[in-house]
Amino acid sequence: MIVSEEEMLDLRGYKFPGGVRTVEHWENWLLTDCTTGQQLPDNLVHPIALFHVPIQGSGCSISELFSLVRVQGAGSVGLDGYDWEYFHPLKEDVPYLCEGEVIDVQRVKTDNGKIYDRFVFSIDLLNESDLLIARVTNHWRLWRKR
Amino acid sequence: MEEKMSDLSSYIGFDLPTLEVNLIDPQKMKTMAALLRDPYPVHWDQNANESLGFGNRVINQGPLNLSYIANMLMEWQGPTCIKRLKAKFLKPVFDGETVVAGGKVLDVLEESSSRILCQIWLSRGDEIVLTGEAEIIVTKEETD
Repeated sequence: MIVSEEEMLDLRGYKFPGGVRTVEHWENWLLTDCTTGQQLPDNLVHPIALFHVPIQGSGCSISELFSLVRVQGAGSVGLDGYDWEYFHPLKEDVPYLCEGEVIDVQRVKTDNGKIYDRFVFSIDLLNESDLLIARVTNHWRLWRKR
Repeated sequence: MEEKMSDLSSYIGFDLPTLEVNLIDPQKMKTMAALLRDPYPVHWDQNANESLGFGNRVINQGPLNLSYIANMLMEWQGPTCIKRLKAKFLKPVFDGETVVAGGKVLDVLEESSSRILCQIWLSRGDEIVLTGEAEIIVTKEETD
């Protein structure tokens, strides 16, 4: 999909709506089962929940993110990297306030003529006492010309 | 000879116990896609990937690839040991493949909290498909 560089750069600073997200036991159980790992004790949420919980908790969805950055179809988006910080363990049935924004967008032209947008967003998870529980920074690669 | 690694600096260079995930199950990718509400068909529609040259195999979700490393770390140092994960995704992983999560201790970040820095990776045979760094808290003594 053709998207102008200006349109993409305008996304810098875009704030997600924000919201509250709670992970229930059934969801955590299924998530952990998908990882092939053992279920965790003491209502601990599996650390990999930091992919979808912040996105959904910030009032967004992967589908809405795809729409925001104008990608669709197989091969249009890839993961470049994650930086996830765990300040305190996440627990089941605890409401987490999620707030975040797009922190960087760059259009990259490769030596062999390919074009992609480097899209970076960050979301914080706080508990009801405003204590920072976790922070995610995700780097996506949005292909414009392959 | 067995030696207890009670001094944190003695962990530097230590190879973490690996975790093998055999024959990655496409059914788990479908459950994962539903949990994530992920509309990207490459994880659940085999036909979507033919145009990408991947045959009729589906691509494992990046978070699942990283989860194998998280599980490896938690099996080593317990369920609350992970303080930071930095990951770079290099190659897609497909259903039916076998991968191995591994790592090596690079440095001691803070003696007082027993926080160490590890290089982490996920491999498929001799090929590294995911690499990165993890900061974890050491609570269990290791024997070498």
